[in-house]
Amino acid sequence: MKCEEFEMLGLDGGRDASVSETERAAAADHANSCARCAALLASWQEARAELRALAEESAAAQTPARVEMRLRQEFRTRHSTFKGRRAAVAAAWALAAAAVLIGAVSWLNWRHSQQVARVKQSNSTVTSDNVPSKSDSAAPDAGTAGFNVDDDSVILVADNESSRFTLLPGVQPSDIDDAEILRVRMQRSALGAFGLPVNEDLANEWIQVDLLVGDDGSPQAVRLLQQQ
Amino acid sequence: MRIVDQERDDVLLRQAAKGDEEAFTFLYRRHQAALYRFALRMTGNVWAAEEIVQDAFMTLMRDPKKYDATRGTLGGFLYGVTRNRVMKHLERLPREVPLEEKNEDGTGTGVVLQDSATPATLAEKRERVDRVRAAVQELPTEFREAVVLCELEEMSYEEAAQAVGCPIGTIRSRLHRGRALLMAHLEILRDGPRRMTVSK
Repeated sequence: MKCEEFEMLGLDGGRDASVSETERAAAADHANSCARCAALLASWQEARAELRALAEESAAAQTPARVEMRLRQEFRTRHSTFKGRRAAVAAAWALAAAAVLIGAVSWLNWRHSQQVARVKQSNSTVTSDNVPSKSDSAAPDAGTAGFNVDDDSVILVADNESSRFTLLPGVQPSDIDDAEILRVRMQRSALGAFGLPVNEDLANEWIQVDLLVGDDGSPQAVRLLQQQ
Repeated sequence: MRIVDQERDDVLLRQAAKGDEEAFTFLYRRHQAALYRFALRMTGNVWAAEEIVQDAFMTLMRDPKKYDATRGTLGGFLYGVTRNRVMKHLERLPREVPLEEKNEDGTGTGVVLQDSATPATLAEKRERVDRVRAAVQELPTEFREAVVLCELEEMSYEEAAQAVGCPIGTIRSRLHRGRALLMAHLEILRDGPRRMTVSK
């Protein structure tokens, strides 16, 4: 072993796991044969003893208690703040959810009340106008002509548009002032019952017509709807 | 909740992250001394060492997720954080001369050696230790770190290499140069270079 190698491996070969037994033995042999390296080893051992003394002197050194106190205080502050912030966020979310819920319920209620009002309005209109029922509307005249009031097709027209209506024979224009419009589905041949001309080729065709129904429930005028 | 002494660091850290102060305190008490010793031996300054250790634990408190249990022990992680703080401190104050430091009770920073020797012998020992401490502080940072880890903390070369994050050969080399410088400093402190004695 050379002196340079001894300086690297020989001084503390015992603690260096990467130094093999052979190298350790060679270092020991070298120290026995080289005065310079033996002196170096002795000097290092002396320095090491002093390092040991320094290590022992500070072996029991501890962080002052105030550091632990500061850290614990910081820990408490941090976690209480964190908890507080979390609670505030949760409360904010809860409030927002409650607001949304209240809004949704209010809207549903409003919509429901609107629907109820509309149904009531339409029911009252139908009853007050004495609209003939399905059986009633199958009057002697209409019955023979296949007159049919379909529940689904009964549409009460809100406007009072009475133009394009053809007055039935014997009806005065003044009679239709308070009349209501009733949409019905009937065979074209039934128009004959109202005194209107009927195309014989299309007599069996189903058509929709608007009838102006007077106070007594009898039709006063008729309007043909355009087929779509 | 009673914390068992053998409770693993990562378990304690999880509890601390959930706000368990006792778990955090337990972790602190388990690791503070080694970190403080290392910081103190590297900086030679009790105030700096105190700040550094506090900073390391503050880092752990602020962001416990920084520690990844799959990459090593919590002790190793804390050592790494402490080492970074030490290096920053040394970069900032490359030649900070430590003042005579006292503990809170006014005593010296070190532990008084339990020795039955006479006051004169104790004083001589104290002086010698101070000389060695000064010699260690004179070493360049990387050599000082190798000396502190291997000679004062008594780590094996392998452990030191792992702690520093370098190959074992680098530790050996730094230690070799650190020793040479240390011996040179000690020779100087003993009033000039001493002639080496040859023992056959």
